[in-house]
Amino acid sequence: MNCEKYKKLIEKYIEGAIGDEQVAELKSHAETCEQCREEFEQCRGLGDAVREAFSSRMSTEEGRASVMARLSAEPGITVRRAQYNLGWLAGRRASIAAGILLAIGLTLGFYMGKASTDKPTAAKVPMRVAKLDGTILVRHEGLDSWQVLKANSAIHLGDTFHSTAKSAFVLEMEDKSTIEVNQNSMLVLKFYNGETQFFLEYGRCTAALESPHSPFFIGTPHGRVEALGTEFTVTVE
Amino acid sequence: MAEEFRHTMTSDEKLISDTLSGNITSFGTLVERYWNMVVGLAMSKIGEPSEAEDVAQESFLKAYSQLHCLRQPSRFAGWLSRITLQQCSNTIRGKIRCRSALGCKATGIEDLNTKAANPCNDRLTESQRHFIRERIQRLPEKFQKLIVMRFMGGLSAVQIAKQLGKRPGTVRVWLHRAYKILRKDLAPILEEVK
Repeated sequence: MNCEKYKKLIEKYIEGAIGDEQVAELKSHAETCEQCREEFEQCRGLGDAVREAFSSRMSTEEGRASVMARLSAEPGITVRRAQYNLGWLAGRRASIAAGILLAIGLTLGFYMGKASTDKPTAAKVPMRVAKLDGTILVRHEGLDSWQVLKANSAIHLGDTFHSTAKSAFVLEMEDKSTIEVNQNSMLVLKFYNGETQFFLEYGRCTAALESPHSPFFIGTPHGRVEALGTEFTVTVE
Repeated sequence: MAEEFRHTMTSDEKLISDTLSGNITSFGTLVERYWNMVVGLAMSKIGEPSEAEDVAQESFLKAYSQLHCLRQPSRFAGWLSRITLQQCSNTIRGKIRCRSALGCKATGIEDLNTKAANPCNDRLTESQRHFIRERIQRLPEKFQKLIVMRFMGGLSAVQIAKQLGKRPGTVRVWLHRAYKILRKDLAPILEEVK
């Protein structure tokens, strides 16, 4: 059997320069030719193994959501309109600015003595994730990275939750009271006057409180809202 | 080959131009398109998956803020890969500095590599994944980048050549050499998972 043609196809397969029809042709030939089958399977196996060894724990959608959340949470990061003739000085300015930022970052990093870690340092709070729909991101206090909230994740003081589009979640407190956070919202657990308080940066959340309940507040950028009944909704535009 | 399909969608140039016009969603599409490649590149240098994801986030943020400086939008992936490798060097330098200046307990690369990565597909054991990563880390740097861009970025040899500003023939030769080395090095694992 003339396998030269198929050897060339396998080379193209390695280079990623092969179409679906040619792959089908190659597979069909490999069924009858042991040598080509061995060769083709090795190539496929190698690709699969590398992909698995380097795979991210986050899906591409979760990766996208985490970067988008960082961009929306950090208004300092902006894109500038294209300028193709920046010239010598503009380059210099960028270098100087980068140098200053790097120096500030290094100094802060040095004094804080913070090793790179994804473990939260704040105390756990007695709450649990009662319901989780879609992708919810959480950032622990003092850390830069956003992680995907899991149903069994521990909740810490200072945690910031970001619900992406078409996502929602419910936190349940010790007394079975709940707070439901809708899509496109950001909720922070803050320590205020000796107790944990919810702070809604933006979006919408609904609290359902067990009766009787002690004074319950939700902070917003416009002021604090106190619960008078057992169920209420807060929206921050 | 499924991973190549996405490159037939909206071009990088169009997405970049839309992003520069203020459409942040277009940048989200670029993130989704290159997330695996960037995490893969970071993992080829750092080894630990969660740290590689942090580096990936930082790399995308840097790319976003520096997007106006990109002179050839058609070479976005190559530019992004350079940013990622630079972020990796910064992270590694930071860890070394932290370890030597403060005596803090930074995790050794061997320990980092053995942490579970929780991949969806568990065809390989964690030690096998570690072995593969370690073998790829041993390849010359130009081969490492090529392998990650080919498998994790789903780019063809010709596309990689364009992104890196190399001749397609050169990239093809490098790719086949890297393939040959890896096939030999990873033969025991490939036999096991057959």
